[in-house]
Amino acid sequence: MKHLDELSDEKLVQKIRSEEKELYREIIKRYEGKLLRYAGYLVRDEDKAADVVQEAFIKAYKNLNGFNINKKFSSWIYRIAHNEAMNVINKHRKTALLNEEIDLNSGIDLEDDLIKKELKEHAHYCLDQMSVIYSEPLTLYFLESRSYEEIGDILRIPMGTVAVRISRAKAIMKKICKKR
Amino acid sequence: MQKKINSKQITLDSHKLNMETIVMEKIKSGKVEMKPRWYFVAGSILMTAGFVGLMAGAVFLVNLTIFLIRKRGPGYGRLEMMLDSFPFWIPIVAVMGIILGIWMLKKYDFSYKKNFHLIVIGIITSIIIAGLFIDYLGLNDVWSHQGIMRRLYQQSENSNPTPGWMKNGYEIRYNDN
Repeated sequence: MKHLDELSDEKLVQKIRSEEKELYREIIKRYEGKLLRYAGYLVRDEDKAADVVQEAFIKAYKNLNGFNINKKFSSWIYRIAHNEAMNVINKHRKTALLNEEIDLNSGIDLEDDLIKKELKEHAHYCLDQMSVIYSEPLTLYFLESRSYEEIGDILRIPMGTVAVRISRAKAIMKKICKKR
Repeated sequence: MQKKINSKQITLDSHKLNMETIVMEKIKSGKVEMKPRWYFVAGSILMTAGFVGLMAGAVFLVNLTIFLIRKRGPGYGRLEMMLDSFPFWIPIVAVMGIILGIWMLKKYDFSYKKNFHLIVIGIITSIIIAGLFIDYLGLNDVWSHQGIMRRLYQQSENSNPTPGWMKNGYEIRYNDN
């Protein structure tokens, strides 16, 4: 039997579905950190983020037979976490409104490395100023290292829209960081 | 060298530790169970059948609308009369069927990867074309005289403007004379 670490998520899911439930622990180990961080950026509260992720793992387990193993498991579980986080956000009405003063069409593009550095240093401050529709793809792209295609699958939006939102988010980011 | 530990990291780690235990406890105790495979297969079949059924129903009702317009149609200078007696519930139900079908289509994975507006326009155009094509072939004339649809066609042809259930319980009775 292959060592668990060598198994892809999709193969692991196949095993959980057919063999033993205990292997789901490995899925939790692989994703809890990533999802906690992701949910944390969305709901902006550690305890709520933990609830979101716990509920996401439970829902993912319940619906494991509905997962298509020809697709990426990471996108699927991120999507579940996204839905849970959105439920919490809608419930608590904590969505940050887009700052009207920010000009989206500034056309100035920042170097990705600089954005990444800024995000890591001032992540919470910068992301808090942005609407969730911009902060979420930015977080997924720069902090969670997801591809445009994966982001599209998680947010269920076309890849073109992902590109536009990330580009606008970068412009907003630049404005916010400049202000700071 | 002493490693600096921040409080945020401690909170995150404790969440992680608890989460794994809590989730696995729920799974092992049977409180959380995987939905069976047939549940998803049945869901998918029902969804597809529902969508196909709605679209077929919409084509049929659009065709029936075209048929009724042709029979009572404004072409004969009877627009006002047609508007007074036209069974508007038929196109209304057709439109509702299309809206429901589109809503169901949105649940499919491909819907956000393709240009959804184009898909919707394509579906609506196809339904109208299919309705016109059935009319062109004269199938509705055949259906109105024979087969299981005969009754519905004849009822619609001689029908009230709206069925009783759409009139808040007041059923309108027309004299044959």
